[in-house]
Amino acid sequence: MADLLPPLMAAQVDAKTKVDEKVDYSNLPSPVPYEELHREAFMSLKADNFEGLRFDFTKALNQKFSLSHSVMMGPTEVPSQSAETIKIPTAHYEFGANYFEPKLMLIGRVMTDGRLNARLKADLTDKLIVKANAQITNEPHLSHAMFNFDYMGSDYRAQLQLGNSALIGATYIQSVTNRLSLGGEVFWAGVPRKSGIGYAARYESDKMVATAQVASTGAVVMNYVQKISEKVSLATDFMFNYFSRDVTASVGYDYILRQARVRGKIDSNGVASALLEERLSMGLNFLLSAELDHKKKDYKFGFGLTVG
Amino acid sequence: MESTISLKTKGKGKGSKGASSSDDKSKFDIVKEWSNWSLKKAKVATHYGFIPLIIIIGMNSDPKPNLFQLLSPV
Repeated sequence: MADLLPPLMAAQVDAKTKVDEKVDYSNLPSPVPYEELHREAFMSLKADNFEGLRFDFTKALNQKFSLSHSVMMGPTEVPSQSAETIKIPTAHYEFGANYFEPKLMLIGRVMTDGRLNARLKADLTDKLIVKANAQITNEPHLSHAMFNFDYMGSDYRAQLQLGNSALIGATYIQSVTNRLSLGGEVFWAGVPRKSGIGYAARYESDKMVATAQVASTGAVVMNYVQKISEKVSLATDFMFNYFSRDVTASVGYDYILRQARVRGKIDSNGVASALLEERLSMGLNFLLSAELDHKKKDYKFGFGLTVG
Repeated sequence: MESTISLKTKGKGKGSKGASSSDDKSKFDIVKEWSNWSLKKAKVATHYGFIPLIIIIGMNSDPKPNLFQLLSPV
């Protein structure tokens, strides 16, 4: 009897691990939201490089409520007809208020020129989330708002988007196996009368993430992120537009160290950029950003401090 | 005479039908106008009231912060 028991237990343990490796199709995990499909790749490749000075001060009044003051000074680009970029030095101050609760999140930012940027996220039930995002200006016809309704099923997510000037979109993403999720989106815009459809796929394991997205606007985006260790990850990205024949490939890295985080990338358009965030002490972060565009001969450097 | 009377009544009938169809059009226009008016008012209300709303909700959450903490820069 004693001889029989250990082999049975061993067999049970083996069977259990085999079941874990085999996909349990009735119990798939929830996929990432459709708009966050490329989030690992964009963390390294689309870091927010800035130009000039940036100072952000966040003051927490209690656990849920905080106020923020931010000052930004530097040249901002103005779209121009000619190939040269025109930069105008500007300075602005932005006041913000944030309220975070498990079921409700409100973020508001107002600038000195009267522009309001408002965001709301509310969990109506534990499966239905409503999000709203609005930019309101004093000038007429330049404000826009977008409302999203997200429904999270057991292994799928569906989202409906309603926008300002008759913009309607819907996305759907489904977990097909533990690692692969497929999704699609469809949108219809009223003002330039066009509609589009797109498909996306995402394959992830705990060391890598690969995604691909095709849209009827002609954009194809593919990216791959490899997590080399806890501190280092590398990402590469390839986008092309089959109507306008624009191609861009980029390679980037993301080093998460104890006191600092460095992200950088180099592009096939001749752009090399990097962003350093260093934690000087508790709550005090120092930022350095550099972006060199060798093709357009545009060099941008920025520095900043974030408190709180 | 009768023909003219009938023509007149026909004309009146057409006129009244025309008026009712323009009434239907104006009902739809009234709904569009009303929704435009309410969206404009909602935009102005959000523009001026969103940040005060967040501050009011935040000041009433617990633990309740006091006014000095709201206004002081430290």
